[in-house]
Amino acid sequence: MNKRILGAIIVVIIVAAAFVALGQFNVFAPAPSAEARNIKVGIVAGMLTVEGQDINRAAQLAIDEINAQGGIWVEEWHTKVNLELVLVDTVDDAAASTTGPVTRAVTDQQVDILIGGATTGGTLSGQIPAISNRVPFIITGASLDLVTRRGSLPEGNPLRINDTEGMSYMFHYCTTITDYSKTVTHFLADAVKPKLDSTYSFDSARKLRLAVIHRGDGYGRGVKDITASIIAQDNLPIEVVATAEYAPSSTTYQSQLISIKGSNPDAVYIAGFTADTAEIIKEGINDVGLKSLYIAVEICEDPQFYTLLGATGANQILESKIATQWQGNTWYLPQVGTYVENYKAKFNGITPGMLGADTYDAVYITKNAIERAGTVNKTNVRDALETTDMPQSLLILENGRITFSTGTNYHEILPKTFIEQLIWNAGANELKPFVVYPDTMPGISSFKQQDFALPADYAPGSP
Amino acid sequence: MIVTPSGLAETLLWGVANGCIYILLATGLNLIFGVMKLVNFAHGQLLMVGAFIAYETTTITGLNPYMSILVAMGSVALIGIGLEKFAFRKVRGTEKLNEIFISLGLIYVFQNLATLLWVKNYNIRIPSPLEGLSLSLGGVSINYDRILAMVIVLIILIGLVFLTRKTKIGLAMRATSQKSDASMLMGINVGKVYFITFAVGAALAGAAGALYGILFQFNPAIGALPTIKAFAIIIIGGLGSIPGAVIGGLLYGIAENTAAYLLGGIWQDAIAFALLIAVLVIRPTGLFGEKGE
Repeated sequence: MNKRILGAIIVVIIVAAAFVALGQFNVFAPAPSAEARNIKVGIVAGMLTVEGQDINRAAQLAIDEINAQGGIWVEEWHTKVNLELVLVDTVDDAAASTTGPVTRAVTDQQVDILIGGATTGGTLSGQIPAISNRVPFIITGASLDLVTRRGSLPEGNPLRINDTEGMSYMFHYCTTITDYSKTVTHFLADAVKPKLDSTYSFDSARKLRLAVIHRGDGYGRGVKDITASIIAQDNLPIEVVATAEYAPSSTTYQSQLISIKGSNPDAVYIAGFTADTAEIIKEGINDVGLKSLYIAVEICEDPQFYTLLGATGANQILESKIATQWQGNTWYLPQVGTYVENYKAKFNGITPGMLGADTYDAVYITKNAIERAGTVNKTNVRDALETTDMPQSLLILENGRITFSTGTNYHEILPKTFIEQLIWNAGANELKPFVVYPDTMPGISSFKQQDFALPADYAPGSP
Repeated sequence: MIVTPSGLAETLLWGVANGCIYILLATGLNLIFGVMKLVNFAHGQLLMVGAFIAYETTTITGLNPYMSILVAMGSVALIGIGLEKFAFRKVRGTEKLNEIFISLGLIYVFQNLATLLWVKNYNIRIPSPLEGLSLSLGGVSINYDRILAMVIVLIILIGLVFLTRKTKIGLAMRATSQKSDASMLMGINVGKVYFITFAVGAALAGAAGALYGILFQFNPAIGALPTIKAFAIIIIGGLGSIPGAVIGGLLYGIAENTAAYLLGGIWQDAIAFALLIAVLVIRPTGLFGEKGE
């Protein structure tokens, strides 16, 4: 009897073990679907621009990493598949250059999702075919929040999109002009004004004199307007004493800088792209003699900006959202260090820029959404993107997690940006950034690297 | 906009300096048009190529950027010779449209080639040893690079006047510009005149490019707008007139800078072209218009 029971138990154990072993090898798992194929990720990047090249490289890095780990599990196909990068080359990312390539990507090349888009002008134009064809688009540039809020524009506005369903496929994984203008104005009020007051014995009631020079497009004018609005709204001790606009095609800015010089500002806030911002700082200091404090915005967080500025950039200011040229023994976020090192290793030592970081994160957001959706059906992927909830990666976010908002701030994130001061290392002949504001950030207890200091030959505005 | 007397004076002075670049470009364009009756829309692309050649010469050999102007002039002159021989000469005497379309096609050829060659050097400036050094006169300052640019343009223009007024080939160029058929009958080798004219015009664009690269940022796409401006300048000054191109260039540079200073940067090009319309309405042949063939 005992032997019979023992024999039965052994048989049961053997059978159970066999089931476990067979299950381990997916013997009972459904066969991969015949429909399984690579997932096409359209990377919208103007390859004539440094920003576009950065976006493309960052996407390639993320896609190769994911594929090296076996790809993405797609439940409905019962298998893992690879991501395939489809370059949607928008040349210079101008509005006129964007619609055609994006249309071809969504209609002929049948991409499953779009990621990228550097400029607002180009993206506003390029997102139209994506909206019409219901293709999820994670916009990783375009700092005007308009790209996801076109449905809320007043009737009659030419940029308004009435297709609410189509607009729901748009997601904005990028800082907006509001995000960084807030950082810049608060930095001016919290760090620069006290420094000026103590250094030049200014009356504490004296407001900081700010000049704004900006591109004559939606982005530049947006920065000018939002800066004034934040100063008023947050009741900051800042007075905008001059604004000057330049045509996006300009290669020289002397006249505007001479005009700004006449207003005796304490600081000059520049809403430009990499090349024009560097040129404005150089012309302002070297040619016009406007020895002020210049503040560049995050799009200039690119190796080219540092090279173009050279020694002239000493002690000038750069607002940023990812310190790809972090100077310190340990990286402020380990994942940023890994990203920068892997990027450099893959692309012959090139240091990554700023927009590539958003794109890199967006590829992983895509992976997460498709795996949760279990399908590449675009509507399901859109729904999965809406419920994204992942730990922050390269970008620092307010609550430390990646989530897309709903309501007024439609499909946006809550990013945190910071201020770097550029320090010239004469020995190495290099310009390097150091964080001067704020002291801490979500997930980073000790962030500030040094105190803000005025440039050596700085001349303040009129008392 | 805050307008101060010193600011206005500075703007005018800098306008003259910027106008000097336009003068070189417009003079070359005018020379080619005046002698060959050829409208070369790709003239600005020769400026762009000149800027890149000067940049490469300076960065690779360490040569002073002002010396690299000579290299740019020589190299772009050679490119001009090639264009004249292998492109424009082939369609000479046929429909004008052929010349126009060749020059339009050349815009893209040059632009795309430059993009392929220099995509990593987008938006660069030729490093100058005088960078950051300025001359201040009673609250008005101008940097030494611009002062030197004005001097160089003056020297080149004196050389050009000497070439056209005091040499045999200059005489032949002037004769061809007035009556090419009659010049041929008088034994002038018109083909050779065209060949040299195009080389000189291209060399001027090369010099303009090198100076442009020292003063401003440049990239493969910069050629288009300067070409349009150069056309506007030669229309203001008068087609075929070198003094007209000089005056037109100065007026254009001043108008452009003053508009940006007084009205804002977005008006810069609009005001300058309004000047063109005003000149054409008042004096349709331009300020120094000459009647040619």
